[in-house]
Amino acid sequence: MTRHAADAPGDAVEDYLDRLLVTLSGSPRQVRHTLAEVEAHLRDAVAEGMAAGLAEPQAQAQAVRRMGPVTGVTGRRTGLARPSLALARRVTLTAALIGGAGLVAIGGAGLVARALLAAKGDAFLTAPWPQASYTRADCARWLAGRPGTRSCVTAMLADHAGDFLLQATAAGLLGLLALAGYFALRRRWRDRATLTALPAGTAEALGTALAAVAAVACFGMALDIEMTQRGVGAGEPWSLGVAAAAAAGVLAMALRRALRRTSA
Amino acid sequence: MRSERLKGHLDMLLLSVLSRGPGHGYEVITRLRERSDGAFELPEGTVYPALHRLEEASLLASAWDVVSGRRRRIYRLTPAGAAALAEQAEQWRDFSGSVARVLGMPAGGMTRRPLSRGAPA
Repeated sequence: MTRHAADAPGDAVEDYLDRLLVTLSGSPRQVRHTLAEVEAHLRDAVAEGMAAGLAEPQAQAQAVRRMGPVTGVTGRRTGLARPSLALARRVTLTAALIGGAGLVAIGGAGLVARALLAAKGDAFLTAPWPQASYTRADCARWLAGRPGTRSCVTAMLADHAGDFLLQATAAGLLGLLALAGYFALRRRWRDRATLTALPAGTAEALGTALAAVAAVACFGMALDIEMTQRGVGAGEPWSLGVAAAAAAGVLAMALRRALRRTSA
Repeated sequence: MRSERLKGHLDMLLLSVLSRGPGHGYEVITRLRERSDGAFELPEGTVYPALHRLEEASLLASAWDVVSGRRRRIYRLTPAGAAALAEQAEQWRDFSGSVARVLGMPAGGMTRRPLSRGAPA
């Protein structure tokens, strides 16, 4: 690669602009505009210094000295205070969106599981534990919860299916709370520093990737159970896989909207 | 003048400089220095966050233009900025007049003589 003269070391103005570039926060447009403004200012100051008889290096040094530290241009005392708060807020928003979407997806899996339960029964939704892994006391407890059932295995499957549906419902409700918190915080934290602390669409992209990986893993597990255990217990991974795939789709659409807003 | 002392009045001074006509950042700082007879020396970079803040508050507006072969952001005072300047100038006159009376200086004495480097406080 050919080295341009302006890239040569020892140019105080270029060095200053490099330091400013890595210190500035804000949208790409704000950063470009501030950099262009400051460069024009420095070039004017250098020209003025040279017109007054200074050699170029001295004129550059004087222009940079008069401009002051880069933190003066960015308007903050340190390079860490505001970005760390903005970043903490943005990470909180990201966690609330991904966590909320994931929990709502588990709630959705509960709805899918209810449909599978009605269509195929308890044994499709959950697999029985190995015989040696539970005690008579466990059996008695499961049977007590299902008065009309005589088989321990049938009572266990019904109990486990009920547990899964209950946990999925609880997760769904928690997810709705998390998403409500996300939207409330997003309205409150609309300052530019928070909005630009992470690249646009970060939460949506991360959420899409996580949901897609979860969907693939769940579908893989379900298929494995279908092939090795004749489908006994495949209902849980199928329902979770369907919900994860739906979440991935919704988050992918949100990502597309976020990227469109940025490029507009 | 110490830049810390100047910062408290920087917004009013920038609005005042731009009330005489639009200008880019370097022009603004040059006019500020000239109109204060060189008394107002502050790190020139500190003018930019102040200009951006005033623009966000709709007291200034800016547009990009090419001047003397360079692309520059030209700032101009908005009607809201003119109103804010009038209000701040009035407050400053009241304040400086009160200080002058406490110091036993003649009314308007602080505004008759141009402020210059080395002038007694």
